[in-house]
Amino acid sequence: MTSAVERSFAVRWRDFSLGRYRRHLRRLMLLAALVALAAWRAEVNMHDLITGLGRGLSMVGLFLPPKWDAFPEMIEPALVTVLIAATATPIGALCSILFGLAAARNIAPAWLRAATRTAIALERGIPEIVILLILVAAFGIGPFSGVVALVIGSIGMLGKLVGDAIEEIDPRTVESVACTGASSAQIIRYAVLPQVLPSLLANSMFRFEVNIRASVLLGAVGAGGIGYELSTAMSQVEYNKAATAALVSFALVLAAERASDHLRSKVLSRGQLA
Amino acid sequence: MLSVNSLTKRLPDGTVLLNAITFTVEKGEFVGILGPSGAGKSLTMRCMVGLTSVSAGSVVFTGEQGRTYTTTTIKGNDLRRARRNIGVIFQGSNLVKRLTVLENVMIGRLGRIHPLRSWLYGFTDREAEEALEALDRVGLASFSGRQTGSLSGGEMQRVAIARAIYQRPLCYLADEPIASLDPKNSRAIMKLLQPLAKDHPIVGSFHQPDMTAEFCTRVLGLRNGTIVYDGPPRLTRAQLAEIYSQDLSLEPEEMPDAMSGPVLGRPVTSTGHWL
Repeated sequence: MTSAVERSFAVRWRDFSLGRYRRHLRRLMLLAALVALAAWRAEVNMHDLITGLGRGLSMVGLFLPPKWDAFPEMIEPALVTVLIAATATPIGALCSILFGLAAARNIAPAWLRAATRTAIALERGIPEIVILLILVAAFGIGPFSGVVALVIGSIGMLGKLVGDAIEEIDPRTVESVACTGASSAQIIRYAVLPQVLPSLLANSMFRFEVNIRASVLLGAVGAGGIGYELSTAMSQVEYNKAATAALVSFALVLAAERASDHLRSKVLSRGQLA
Repeated sequence: MLSVNSLTKRLPDGTVLLNAITFTVEKGEFVGILGPSGAGKSLTMRCMVGLTSVSAGSVVFTGEQGRTYTTTTIKGNDLRRARRNIGVIFQGSNLVKRLTVLENVMIGRLGRIHPLRSWLYGFTDREAEEALEALDRVGLASFSGRQTGSLSGGEMQRVAIARAIYQRPLCYLADEPIASLDPKNSRAIMKLLQPLAKDHPIVGSFHQPDMTAEFCTRVLGLRNGTIVYDGPPRLTRAQLAEIYSQDLSLEPEEMPDAMSGPVLGRPVTSTGHWL
């Protein structure tokens, strides 16, 4: 026998009804129609997917086992990849302070803010590969082009974040410092930057991780490093060597991600305690 | 010495926020501005520091050798030079929470430091020592290394006062300095401010007539942007009613009574407030 309490908590089949979703029905059907249309135009083909899957899996077999004795020659390219990201991130972070100040509504005049925001938006719209190809045409193949491409990319991401952070600071703090007779430069140094630097630091560490991945990718397109090794191995049909290169890239990205998470949590927690 | 002449602030749609505010403050005075919310107390202060533009009138500070500084009609470097002579204390102290207490005090003299030196070097040791002395005057010398965000409201307000002291201004402006503090801290802050007035005049806006009655040397009553009272700090009930009479929600018995408290020998209520 169910007690009164048990009866009130018991859940019955008829308690579940799909009627609550009725008001979403029209929207869901529209969404489903759009997806179907997109899939049809994109020539999505389940049959090809299934047959291709089988072929793909057998391809993976070609990559295994990785060519273990190719590891030593992967170390230097891996270092180059890391150094490209490690050089580009601090430079990009420093430049993004300037861009962020120029992109903030409460610091920059309207025309400057508009111009900077447009430039940042344009940069974010262009894939880094395209930027690198342009730079390779200008500076030639090699790590230098990679560094410049990643600096530009970092400014795009960090500049926007810093600009948004500056726009969010408490204006009363700024007014208070201004009332002591401080100049604009001093206001920026003492009232604005202390409030945005911790978040900039955390975002820069995240950007470092992004830059490692981008550096691997750009390496394949002309910046050198492990990405270059990977792409040459693939084009020379040395799939086992390519597998080794891929493993090294994977290890790099994983290490960068771990390091970045760890440092970021330390920076953010330091900001909250004493 | 500070003189405010016919300070007027008009909105584009014609509303008059400040109506020809005129008063002069001499050395040694501790002026308290009383008035209901929206009367224009904070607005007057902001106009005096040049944070808000004025439609007419002027504010003139006179220094030691008769040098005058005006804050209403100038901009840029001139305004910067004028502002260094005014020590402003805000309601919420408005300090930079991520910096240390000592750095916040040293910010007080930024008006006298070249920006390039600020960026490349920061503050000198001598400035740090003098800032520490200012902190000592407000009793917070041991707090100098702490992050300002970790302090309580009353402590932050004392740091703000230390910053104003360190600035060595011609006069102090306090925009509702005790409005967000509990009664005990309010009294402590008023006790800190009172001796400062002997060297340089203080103009502060307050919500508590009993505080101004006890600590100020003069009271200005502001109502709807107009000065309706300018005189001794102890106001009669009728005078208070005239300042606050627009506040129709208050019953006559609820009007602030500046005559309770040590003035007449009656004990201040436990809340320290006018009830």
